[in-house]
Amino acid sequence: TDLALESEASAHIIAARRRLLDEWRAWRAKVEEELTEERAEVGLRPFGAEDEEDTEGTKVIE
Amino acid sequence: MFERALTQVKFNKDGDLLFSVSKDQVICVWFSQNGERLGTYDGHQGAVWTIDPNPSTSILASGAADNTIRLWEIKTGKLIKTWEFPTAVKRVEFSEDGEYLLATTEQRMGHLGTIVVFPINPDVHGEQATEPSLRITCTDSKATVAAWSYLSKYIIAGHEDGSISQYDAKTGEQLLNVPVHERGTLITDMQMSPDKTYFITSSKDKSAKILDVDNLKVMKQFVTDTPLNSAALTPKKDFVILGGGQEARDVTTTAARQGKFEARFHHKIFEDDIGRVRGHFGPLNTIAVHPAGTAYASAHGGTEYVHIRGVVESTIRVDTLVNTMLIVLCPIGGEDGYVRLHHFDKAYFDFMYEVERTRAQH
Repeated sequence: TDLALESEASAHIIAARRRLLDEWRAWRAKVEEELTEERAEVGLRPFGAEDEEDTEGTKVIE
Repeated sequence: MFERALTQVKFNKDGDLLFSVSKDQVICVWFSQNGERLGTYDGHQGAVWTIDPNPSTSILASGAADNTIRLWEIKTGKLIKTWEFPTAVKRVEFSEDGEYLLATTEQRMGHLGTIVVFPINPDVHGEQATEPSLRITCTDSKATVAAWSYLSKYIIAGHEDGSISQYDAKTGEQLLNVPVHERGTLITDMQMSPDKTYFITSSKDKSAKILDVDNLKVMKQFVTDTPLNSAALTPKKDFVILGGGQEARDVTTTAARQGKFEARFHHKIFEDDIGRVRGHFGPLNTIAVHPAGTAYASAHGGTEYVHIRGVVESTIRVDTLVNTMLIVLCPIGGEDGYVRLHHFDKAYFDFMYEVERTRAQH
């Protein structure tokens, strides 16, 4: 029964983490979309777009 | 006694350069890859509290106890401009586009703390403005730290009383002021996310918090057992790095053994303590993360503990999370004031919670 309790507890923790992760990602998706809109209003491309273009075709050496 | 404690470290946008400032008036620039010193910027007549390179890495701003902000040409070390104030300058930061610089000035008898903004001429040989384009006076509690939001829409300030303000960056009007950290405990650091839509603060109340720049809502909080001096966000991984400790005069080796000066890693979303990197016999004053998320730099105070110099060069291992390569960058002027540069290894990047693994980006 100890084991059962333990796995119940860890199922609880995992469910809580899943919820936190989903909440965070939902918030970030909303903020990033709003930022993209506000940047477009002042004629700027989405955040990070310039950087991606800079490295296009170059090989990243770790 | 000479105090040489390091006060701030900062990477440039590309991450190839690392700037450091200290109480001994010297500004240094290092190659972040190998720790070789590229040069110094000499001229301040007091402890240098703060630095920031502009986004194009052409101009460096610094603020100091000699009541000046200075602009330097990064490439040559040449002084471009000096702005004078009645009190010390504690924080400087360029806006996202490099067109403005903000700074906080100290409160002192007869002078309230202020946040000033200067327009910046990107031409290093051109004229710079003589007067600030904006001046915000902090009537309730001085600003100890300040930063720009995305699109330079807001200026966010952390205050001595533990509150955080949001100002309209064009008019200087205070839009919000919320108590965030324990009342009366000062906010020691504030660092923005790369897109400047959220930020992390650290406080002497032993906690760090993540807030949304739009509404100053606390999204996450991280509770520790030591007063915090610095907090940083890590790109690539959802972690935060926190550092602190008591002031140098209260330092004991016991405190060091108890891990009061370690850099602590927490998970940004789950908030748990996930790993530590052993520190020095002195408080951790400042942390900066490489913009690519591949390394971090930290600096400790603790001027009296010169005897441990010999052991600093060893590699440090922590919880298999951060196997760091340590470069002792900067024994400024002698025995103290190290900048420590830690490169993350594969274990750090591989580290994931089960839920993150199963919910890898859909």
